[in-house]
Amino acid sequence: MNYHKIVNAILVVFLLPLTSLAKDYNASLFGVKSDGLTLNTRSIQKGIDFISANGGGRLVFYVGRYLTGSIRLKSNVTIKLEEGAVLVAAPSIYDYNSSAGIKALVSAEGQKNIGISGKGVIEGRGTLLLKNMDELKVRGFLLDSLTVQPALLGFSNCSQIAIDSVNMIDAAGAVQRFSNCNDIKIATITIKSNNSNDPAVVFSENTGVYFIHSYVEVPGKPMVWTGDSRELKLEKTIDSKGSALQP
Amino acid sequence: MRKTILTLFLLNAILYTEAKDYNIADFGARADGVYLNTSIIQGAIDYITTHGGGRLIFPRGSYLTGSIYLKSNVILHLESDAVLLGSVNVFDYVKDPYIGWMSMIFALKQENIGITGKGMIDGRGFYTANNMVSNIHKGIFTDPLKLDRPNETNRPQNIYFRECENIIITGIMLKDPASWNQTYDQCRNIYVDSIRVDAKNYWNNDGIDIVDCSDVVIKNSFFDAADDVICFKSHDATKICENVVVDNCVGRSSANGLKFGTVSRGGFRNFKVTNLTIYDTYRSAITFAAVDGGIIENIVVDGVKSTNTGNVIYLRIGDRWSQNKVPYMKDIVIKNVYAEVPAGKPDAGYLYEGPVEDLPRNISPASIVGLPQHKIKNVILENITIVYPGGSNPNYAYRGLSKAELDSIPEMPAAYPEFSQFKELPAWGFYLRHAEDITFRNITLTAEKKEYRPAIVADDVKNIFFEKVEVQEPESKKKNQIFLHNSTRRKK
Repeated sequence: MNYHKIVNAILVVFLLPLTSLAKDYNASLFGVKSDGLTLNTRSIQKGIDFISANGGGRLVFYVGRYLTGSIRLKSNVTIKLEEGAVLVAAPSIYDYNSSAGIKALVSAEGQKNIGISGKGVIEGRGTLLLKNMDELKVRGFLLDSLTVQPALLGFSNCSQIAIDSVNMIDAAGAVQRFSNCNDIKIATITIKSNNSNDPAVVFSENTGVYFIHSYVEVPGKPMVWTGDSRELKLEKTIDSKGSALQP
Repeated sequence: MRKTILTLFLLNAILYTEAKDYNIADFGARADGVYLNTSIIQGAIDYITTHGGGRLIFPRGSYLTGSIYLKSNVILHLESDAVLLGSVNVFDYVKDPYIGWMSMIFALKQENIGITGKGMIDGRGFYTANNMVSNIHKGIFTDPLKLDRPNETNRPQNIYFRECENIIITGIMLKDPASWNQTYDQCRNIYVDSIRVDAKNYWNNDGIDIVDCSDVVIKNSFFDAADDVICFKSHDATKICENVVVDNCVGRSSANGLKFGTVSRGGFRNFKVTNLTIYDTYRSAITFAAVDGGIIENIVVDGVKSTNTGNVIYLRIGDRWSQNKVPYMKDIVIKNVYAEVPAGKPDAGYLYEGPVEDLPRNISPASIVGLPQHKIKNVILENITIVYPGGSNPNYAYRGLSKAELDSIPEMPAAYPEFSQFKELPAWGFYLRHAEDITFRNITLTAEKKEYRPAIVADDVKNIFFEKVEVQEPESKKKNQIFLHNSTRRKK
């Protein structure tokens, strides 16, 4: 008993300074605008790069609409979307990039200790994006490299991923893709998207995955899992009919 | 001397007229001046370059953009009232790792490219540069802020093309870059015609910079620039600027009009500059600087009108970053020049005007100044009229004609080359030092008020030749207007 108390005390003493190291940075510091008009891609990326290079922390978005194209998360950076903050996806397919073969609005490849948290929204504007892609296709401009619909989140070869509380809506295709990642915690998120029959959350060969207390409402499958099913912990995560998600 | 082979080339117009036209709107760009079109414009360029080339047409409207890369066989065509509007967010620009500068429109190792039409590129550089200053103060961007401005390479230019061939820039207006304006670096076959430049909204705004390029035509263009107007540079000691025609251009600057340098490592040869008009310009109408080991050779300037400009001609060999390379300057012809030099500051009232100088000096003469070991050779000055204000005051600044006084003029080999660098000079019309074979033919020098100095002083000049040199100065009937020291005169 005493032993546990001592261990706890030591843990608290050692962990407190660690948690307080995670510094918060307002998005506006990097010139990010909340007007819903300014395409913030490179300012947000600058924020992520800067925070990652300076010991890590959270890039915090307060209420507003933040238009962006593809951004890449870097180690020790969490995007914090406060209630009322909406990360709004760019309506042109030219504003999206792929990393490790996954095209996504927010991507990460080979990073560690990353996340998205808060009660805000990631809004894919998939309906508009798909319409604009169709127009390019009609004119013959939609090259093969552009035909893939971007996910909202796409992580590969990452570890210590925390997706917490965020609402994800209106993706053009799949909502989240995870490939070869380790230690993923997805909790209390809401997904509502009806643009495609793609599965909402696609797990490929990941380990240590928790997907808990979440709601997934899509026309297609709420989730697909490939890999060792013992690596997936599902808890109180349901689809729009109230059925628990199955591996 | 007349071995000039200026390869005037005509770009194959058919190549461009037969190419397909694409409307940027069809790629989803928005002309509202608000939506950032960078990726869309890039997507369109990438499509056109991989599908046979053509023109990317920008109809009337305002297209906000950050850095884009022009690719082979693509022409950006800006129709009347179409504006490529620079983002004021410096993070929307790329600092190209190979080029080492930021720009709105890059091209790297491409061919058959251009920007045409009656539209405009508006960098809005004042805002971008000042946003960069805030970023530096906030600590999210690192820059020494030397002279309280971000380094030139950390501010976007409007155009930076490097190692490209067959470039046409015609008709457009270029406005408000955050750094230099348009740079063509190690390119070949450049044709610039009928462009307008309004570049005086931040420090270092040049008119046009041509760096180590060959086969260049610049004509029928207008430049209003905070820094140099038409500037040729040589950044690479193994490269050179050569075979250049500049014709029928007008410029205004808070620095120099036609300039070679300052960076002058390789050099400049085979130039023909005709019908050049320079006005309201702070420094020299014509400055040729070989200060970094470069050469200057076979240059003809024919037809210059320079009004309200601080200095007319400044030819200089220095030894700044030469790194044991031997500079030379020879075979220069400057003829058919009419110039007026004012008593006051020529660029007063313009945005980003030139620095107020730590005087004193009286009005400086046109100057040809080499170094004792590197003489400027074979310069022909012909049909030149310069009107100076005169009225120098020896109590304010004085340089006499004794050996000691002439020798006291510093050599300043490593100094930044500019006409005012020696402070007071002993002549009011022309000052020559360390030169050989200098011809004055049909020269009229006028001082509007009495001068304490003679019109022309030559010091260490071999074979100076005078034919029809007329000097006009009030109350100076018996004054000896030509003073030679340690120099020899050629009779024919």
